[in-house]
Amino acid sequence: MVNEKIKISTRNLNVYYGIKQALFDINLDLFEKKVTALIGPSGCGKSTFIRCLNRMNDVIDICKVEGSIKVDGEEINGKEIDVNVVRERIGMVFQKPNPFPKSIYDNIAYGPRIHGLANNQDDLDRIVENSLKKAALWEEVKDRLNQPGTGLSGGQQQRLCIARAISINPEVILMDEPCSALDPIATAKIEELIDELKKSYTIVIVTHSMSQAARVSQNTGFFHLGKLLEFNLTEKIFKNPDNKMTQDYITGRFG
Amino acid sequence: MNNKAKEILLKKRYRAEKRFRFFGISSIILALSFLCILLVNIFTNGLSAFSRTEILLKVNFNEKKIGININSTDKEIKQANFDEILQEALLNLAPNVPELKQAELIDLVSIDATIELKKFYLKNKDVLNKTSEVALTLSDDIDQVHKGNFPRDIPEDRRRFSDFQLKIYDEQIAKKKIISEFNWPFLFNADSREPEIAGVGASLMGSFFTLIVCLLLSFPLGILAAIYLEEFAPKNKITEIIEVNVNNLAAVPSIVFGLLGLGVFLNYFYLPRSTPLVGGLVLALMTLPRIIIPCRAALKAVPPSIREGALALGASKVQTVMHNVVPLAMPGTLSGTIIGLSQALGETAPLLLIGMVAFINVVPSTPFDPSAVLPVQVYLWSESAERGFVEKTSATIIILIFFLAFMNSFAIYLRNKFEKRWS
Repeated sequence: MVNEKIKISTRNLNVYYGIKQALFDINLDLFEKKVTALIGPSGCGKSTFIRCLNRMNDVIDICKVEGSIKVDGEEINGKEIDVNVVRERIGMVFQKPNPFPKSIYDNIAYGPRIHGLANNQDDLDRIVENSLKKAALWEEVKDRLNQPGTGLSGGQQQRLCIARAISINPEVILMDEPCSALDPIATAKIEELIDELKKSYTIVIVTHSMSQAARVSQNTGFFHLGKLLEFNLTEKIFKNPDNKMTQDYITGRFG
Repeated sequence: MNNKAKEILLKKRYRAEKRFRFFGISSIILALSFLCILLVNIFTNGLSAFSRTEILLKVNFNEKKIGININSTDKEIKQANFDEILQEALLNLAPNVPELKQAELIDLVSIDATIELKKFYLKNKDVLNKTSEVALTLSDDIDQVHKGNFPRDIPEDRRRFSDFQLKIYDEQIAKKKIISEFNWPFLFNADSREPEIAGVGASLMGSFFTLIVCLLLSFPLGILAAIYLEEFAPKNKITEIIEVNVNNLAAVPSIVFGLLGLGVFLNYFYLPRSTPLVGGLVLALMTLPRIIIPCRAALKAVPPSIREGALALGASKVQTVMHNVVPLAMPGTLSGTIIGLSQALGETAPLLLIGMVAFINVVPSTPFDPSAVLPVQVYLWSESAERGFVEKTSATIIILIFFLAFMNSFAIYLRNKFEKRWS
């Protein structure tokens, strides 16, 4: 762990919804090209935490984020920081697949278009094809790129959303319970995909499934009541956690 | 609870269900029967207005009597007087009648018959100095007799037509000289004091222009206001007040908007009175909240996940809304707009106040010309005494209903088309 490069680090991160504090002094380092899983009971602040990393909490009026979030040593939390640029570097995949009401092609092409990543149609075609290939969806949809993305199955939709996220070539991909709406087969596919994607991207995944965290992640953080109770190598957390609460949670005694 | 009690409860529940269904179905039947009565009434009264009665009259185009010759220009012909040859032709229907009865003969045809004669001549100049059979519009009274709207068996002094006129009419019927035709002039003519030549052309055009002005103003304004209020405006006291007031505006009686139009557009900005321009402006004010409310509802119904998806890709707020949210809200917005416009189409009260109730006998060619609109035409004609206007009132309502049905089916078509694309 010592020799690895830190991609994102948060220091004294506090988040408030109105007067209610949701996160307390989170100090967490996320390592480059690793999968970090965040686990913890519902309402513990995992989702709130990853939504801070690409400033999605800005959308919520009453939400206030204090503290420091650095990406490659660069501060991204602050009024003067352009959120659109932050989100271009840090993509996100949501709990429920949310393809745009557009064709499969346009779903992927949307990001590159608004960020001007393609110089011409061929460029754009290539980006779409590569993104779909990386998301292991190309073979299934290559003949129907013009059909609506909403017509795909749940698992395909979620891979479409992953393809959409990587179409703008982000550095980090945040995944907020990406498999919670999927069946086991689709889940297995996404997990395989995450394994593949970690070669090129830093991935943070929030999950309720202990086995999923154990399968896909290298590091795991355990959140409880807005506090980060333990952060360590996944193996260590699942075999021999330092914290009693972590032990109880992963063995299913509460949560 | 034992089985017996359970059975009783079950039966009670089924009875309640049956009762509810009965009430529901009977209220639908009641509503439908009222609609049927209305439609049957309007159609039985109005359909006859779509035909017109003409007489085939032998007219001798004597150049001396008209005062033109073979070389006369169109302008000279238009100024010439065709009254004499028309009178002569009419008097020929019953030669040697006393002078007193001659006026009754002349009254058989419409006042416009001489103009029709002129038009006929302009198209067929080779009839000069010859006798030709020309179809001329009969007067309103004879028209109504022909359509069976006037009873013939009441005493002569209580009828609008004399026994003598009736006798001539019957003779001509026997000779097959009275014909019925589809009433094209009704669709293209402007209003007139004479029912047989009055038409809805002017009010059709007026309604069309008014709606265009209304649409051009209220659609972009309404949509932009809705998008801003729903997606961008901060949620605070001011936006709350605006929101409440938009909802209130939708409930303001339409005549109040008419007063506003009178006070502001006519008396302050001196815009031309009785024009579709001002009518459209007033109706746009009235339609605005009726577009804003459904548009906001449609925007609200777009799942937040779509917004998050776009924002997470680094799209700006405007891009997120314009590219992803608005297209999804379009079906609801469009059908709301068209429903708002069809309400505007049927609106009468505010237009009375800005002078669109004037008697307009020229078909307007721009939104700046004085004109009437369909519902005001209904209002005007419904007050007229002549029997001919009764059927025309109903016929105008038929046209209005068709207009509305067309617009509403267009709204349904748009909604289905946009919804199909993404589901």
